Amino acid sequence: MNTVVITGASSGIGLETAKILTQNGFHVIGVSRSEENCKRAKEKILSENPNAQITFMQADLMQQREVVKVAESITLYLNNSGNGELYALINNAACIRSWYMTTEEGYEQQFALNHLAGFLLTYKLLPALIKAKGCVIMTGSGSHRGIKVHWDDIMLNRRYNPLIAYKQSKLCNLLFAKGLNDRYAKDGIRAYVVDPGLVNTDIGNKGTGGLVNFVWSLRKKHGVSPDVPAKTYAFLCEQKDRQNGLYYYLCKEINYSKEVTCENANRLFELSERLCGIRYEGKEMVAV
Amino acid sequence: MNVMITGAAGGLGRSLANECGRRGYNLFLTDVNEDGLLCIKQGLERQFNVTVATAACDLTNAESVDQMLAVIDKHQIRFDMLLNVAGMDYEGGFMRREREELVRIVLLNNAATLRITHAILKRRRAGKPFNIVFLSSLASMFPMPLKATYAASKRFLLDLAISLCQELKNENVHVLTICPGGMVTTQKAIHGIEAQGFWGTVTTNPLECVARNAIDRALAGKSIYVPGILNRILFFLGKIIPRSWIAAVIHWRWSGVTEVTGH
Repeated sequence: MNTVVITGASSGIGLETAKILTQNGFHVIGVSRSEENCKRAKEKILSENPNAQITFMQADLMQQREVVKVAESITLYLNNSGNGELYALINNAACIRSWYMTTEEGYEQQFALNHLAGFLLTYKLLPALIKAKGCVIMTGSGSHRGIKVHWDDIMLNRRYNPLIAYKQSKLCNLLFAKGLNDRYAKDGIRAYVVDPGLVNTDIGNKGTGGLVNFVWSLRKKHGVSPDVPAKTYAFLCEQKDRQNGLYYYLCKEINYSKEVTCENANRLFELSERLCGIRYEGKEMVAV
Repeated sequence: MNVMITGAAGGLGRSLANECGRRGYNLFLTDVNEDGLLCIKQGLERQFNVTVATAACDLTNAESVDQMLAVIDKHQIRFDMLLNVAGMDYEGGFMRREREELVRIVLLNNAATLRITHAILKRRRAGKPFNIVFLSSLASMFPMPLKATYAASKRFLLDLAISLCQELKNENVHVLTICPGGMVTTQKAIHGIEAQGFWGTVTTNPLECVARNAIDRALAGKSIYVPGILNRILFFLGKIIPRSWIAAVIHWRWSGVTEVTGH
C-alpha cells in the first residue's frame, strides 16, 4: 500500500485530501499541530470509512525542531511498517498572521510555516521519496502572482504586511517546487503546486484577529468546499506516469507567475538551506 | 558592539535580538528558557552570520546570575549596550492570584533588573559610550486596577531609568525607557487584544517597529520612547489627570474585559 504524508491534515483541504486518498486505497499519515485535532480528524475519517488506513502525528511545524522530530518519526514508521518508501508528501500546512510574529528561531511565522517547514520536511523525507520515486505537492495559491520575492528583507521585518507575506510565501512554494524538479527529476521525483482556488476553510480565522479575521470571514463564504481542490491532489497522486507540469488547478495544468525562474529558485534554495541549516544534494542543474 | 539582552528567547527580546543581529552586533543572550535560547542563537547565526553567546539564567536567583557573570568574566567580555527586557505578569485581579505569584512579578521585573543592570554597568567597555534600555510599559503611567502589581513594577522601572539617566550622564551612559502599549508576542496576546476590542487594536504596537525604533533611539541618546501617536496622547494624559480618576476608569474598563476573557 502506498503511503502519503499530509501536513495540516486535521481540517480544511488537508482533511478532505486525506479522506479521498484513504478511500482510494492509500495509507495516509496526517500531521497536525495539536493532539486533540489529530484525534478528532482521525475519528472523522474512520467514521466515514472504517477501513481507512490513517495515522496521525502531532507536530507544530512552525518550529524547526518539531519538523525534524516528526520527520524522524515518519521515517521510523515507514521503515517499520513497510519498505521505507514514501509515495507522496503533501506540504499543505499554512497560516496567515495579521501581525509580524516570529518562531523560536526568530523567523517570520508565515514564511517559516508556509515555506521553510515544507522545505525542511521534504529534505528530511527525501531518501524515502527517492526510494518510491515519489512526488511532493505544495498547496499554493493564485495570490502568488503580482509579487516578487523581497530578497533584501524576506521576513518583511522592515514593512510587514500580512497579505504580502502570504503572497510571497506562496510564490516561494512554486520556486521550491521548481527547484526540486530541477534537482531531482533525474531521480524520478516530481514536485507540483496545487492552486486550490478560493476555498471555504478557516485559514484566515486561526490566530489572526483584527481586519484579517473579519475580511476572511466575509470572503470565505464565496469559496468552494475543500473537497473540490482535494480532487486535484488525488489526481496528481494517482498518476502512474508522473505529470510534467508544475502548477495545477482543478486537475489541469495552468500558467504561473513569470517570477518562477531558475535563478530565483536557486536563490531561494540557497537561502532556505542556510535558514534550515541543511544542504540538499543534487546540485547539478538538469534541463526539464 | 557587544550587546546583552535579557528575556531574549521570546517576545520583544527575540525581536530586539533580531534587530541587533541585522545590524551586525555581537550578542550575549540570556533567558530562563534554555531551548528557546539555542533556537534563537541558531536563527541569528543563520540569518546574519553574527557572533551569539547564550547563557540560560534565572535572573531572580542571585546564584544563577553570579554563575553567568563568572562566565562573562572568564572570557573578559565587555558590553556596549544592555537591553533589559525580561519581565512577566500574571493575568487577573490581586486577590485572584497566589501570594508568591505577585511577589515573583516584583522579583523579576524589578529586583532582577536592578541586579543585572548593576552587574553589566560594572562590565561596560571602558572609555566608550554605554546604552541601557529598560522595557517599561504604557501601564507605567497609570495605576491599573486588576494589573496593579505589574503596572506598579513598570512605574518603578520608569522612575529608576529617569534617575539613572541623570546620575550617569557624565559617565557617558545613556538610558532609554520604552513604554509600549500591547504587542503581539504570542497567540495569547492576540486573544487579549481582541478582547479589548477597538482600544486593544489601536493601542497595539507592531513588534518589529518597536524593536527597530528602540535601538535607533537608544543610539541617538533619547531617554523615553512611547510607540504610537495614540499611546503618546495616553501617556500625556497620564501626567495631567488625577490618578484616582484614571484608576476608576481603568477599573471600569478592565472589569468588562476580564468578564469576556474569563480572568
